[in-house]
Amino acid sequence: MKITGKLYLSIVLAFLYLPIFFLIYYSFNGAGNMTHFEGFTFDHYLSVFQNKRLIVIIVNTIAVALLAASISTLIGICGAIGIHYLRNKKIKVGLLTLNNILMVSSDVVIGSSFLLLFTVIGHYTGMGLGFWSVLISHIAFCVPIVVLLVLPKLYDMNTSMIDAARDLGANSWQTLTKVVIPHILPGAIGGFFMALTYSLDDFTVSFFVTGSGFSVLSVEVYSMARKGITMEINAISTLLFLLVMILILGYYFIKRGQQKRSLKRGEN
Amino acid sequence: MKQLIQLIGISLIVGALLILSTKLIDPPPAKGKKDVIYVYNWGEYIDPALTKKFEKETGIKVVYETFDSNEAMMAKIKNGGTPYDVAVPSEYTIQKMAKEDLLIPIDHKKLSNLKNIDKDFMNLPFDPGNKYSIPYFWGTVGILYNPEKTKGIDFNSWNSLWDKRLNKDVLVVDGAREGIGFSLNSMNESLNETNPKKLEKAQNKLIKLSPNVRGVVGDEINTMMVQNESDVAVVWSGMAADIMSENDNLDFVVPKEGSNLWFDNMVIPKTAQNVEGAHKFINFILDEKNGKQNTEWVGYATPNKESYKLLDKETREDERFYPDSNIRKKLEVYKDLGKENIAKYNEAFLKFKMSLK
Repeated sequence: MKITGKLYLSIVLAFLYLPIFFLIYYSFNGAGNMTHFEGFTFDHYLSVFQNKRLIVIIVNTIAVALLAASISTLIGICGAIGIHYLRNKKIKVGLLTLNNILMVSSDVVIGSSFLLLFTVIGHYTGMGLGFWSVLISHIAFCVPIVVLLVLPKLYDMNTSMIDAARDLGANSWQTLTKVVIPHILPGAIGGFFMALTYSLDDFTVSFFVTGSGFSVLSVEVYSMARKGITMEINAISTLLFLLVMILILGYYFIKRGQQKRSLKRGEN
Repeated sequence: MKQLIQLIGISLIVGALLILSTKLIDPPPAKGKKDVIYVYNWGEYIDPALTKKFEKETGIKVVYETFDSNEAMMAKIKNGGTPYDVAVPSEYTIQKMAKEDLLIPIDHKKLSNLKNIDKDFMNLPFDPGNKYSIPYFWGTVGILYNPEKTKGIDFNSWNSLWDKRLNKDVLVVDGAREGIGFSLNSMNESLNETNPKKLEKAQNKLIKLSPNVRGVVGDEINTMMVQNESDVAVVWSGMAADIMSENDNLDFVVPKEGSNLWFDNMVIPKTAQNVEGAHKFINFILDEKNGKQNTEWVGYATPNKESYKLLDKETREDERFYPDSNIRKKLEVYKDLGKENIAKYNEAFLKFKMSLK
């Protein structure tokens, strides 16, 4: 049974990672296409770094993802706590439903409605599409994800802990920062990373709200499709893959280090 | 708690710094000034060196954005939002945009290089008198094939596709106008035919092709042909040029019965805020040397006859992409046939697709 389990896991992993490794492999291809390998080269990486427009777009994409993920985590945590402690059941259910509707509604709907909204705003303020419209819409579709990941953590929190903290003299702020937030931390961090990936790979919403020279990678790659995908795309994807990998490994090691230290100190 | 603050704080700071850094890499144009134009074009459809040259020559900054389909582009222009000054739609979209009053008439007096454009490509039915649009690139629909593996078949006629030897070997682009179009062409009919009887005939003829059809595909044609998965494909000339640059074994031909002539033209949308700059940009592209540079980079056929003269001999004499005048006479530009007729085309093409096994 153990062997079949391992076999199953490795097949699943291979299925998930093979295309990525295939893509990375061809990013070093001297032939400039995906059909046959013809010598090792860094040319595609060089041409990425020489293309100023592409670099700006990559930086834009990462910056929007980081900003959207962090802001939506903040908003999402507040929202989840707010919903959880609502007394009025009807409003609570209503808010949860609204949150879930945003989760399941299609990107095209969200994207085109944002396009309309920002166009109207643009008419009155003269602020057209661009960085702000992309950031705001990314935050908008990330918040429901964070809420959804934080809520279960709140549900399974032992309410006696809060009572205990209160009895021991903690005020509301202390209860929140010392009891509630540490408890929902895994959910919040999970939400942060989910929001990060959602924002990084979103095409549909971004397509509608980019403009005024501000563009993100998914939109750019998609419009390259007409002339065939160049190997530069492979190079960019490889770089992004490595970046995300480093981020996650870094997070993992920091967390493990902290756990070890707290074990030594006899906490937990 | 500390962990969360760290995570959020650091990513906020890094994100903000990254956004600021892009302003250093590529300084944004000052707001409200008349020294910037917004260009909306297909992906990979202009030599980046040319926009730089234009910025240097005129002092107008080019903010460049890309799209992947006429429909997407039109949706964005219709809504405003970004003040695009120059866009590059295809011919049938230009007609639609003009009808919906999305375009500003182009002032020909401001385009001193307009004389460079070949007369054959001016004053076409989709934009009489070139009131709204100036040609950017053009091409045809034809047959891309592998001469080695299809010996003995003469692809100079559309009818060759029905040859029994090509069993399960033909790829067709997934477009109703293209599919029904070459069937109409093979019977020497017009590509803008609206007579229902003739359309039905074309549909039935296309259905007879189904044993030969390997697939009705979109962008995948590129990879499939490069990897020799199929030996014959009906594609646009620009696509064919791309595929052939990656697979030397292939050849392209525009059949003698005629074919579609497509255009991507430059237009000035209604939302434009720098009409003066847009004219300057169009005029800059029309310049013979710039046109030549762009043509060499993009690899599609140029409508600019002065640029054409500057191209190297091999490209100029390549009749696959610059067909001689005999074939050119038979090329037809798609007209906007109206919703009802387009629906008929789609219906006929759908019936063909359903007949595939």
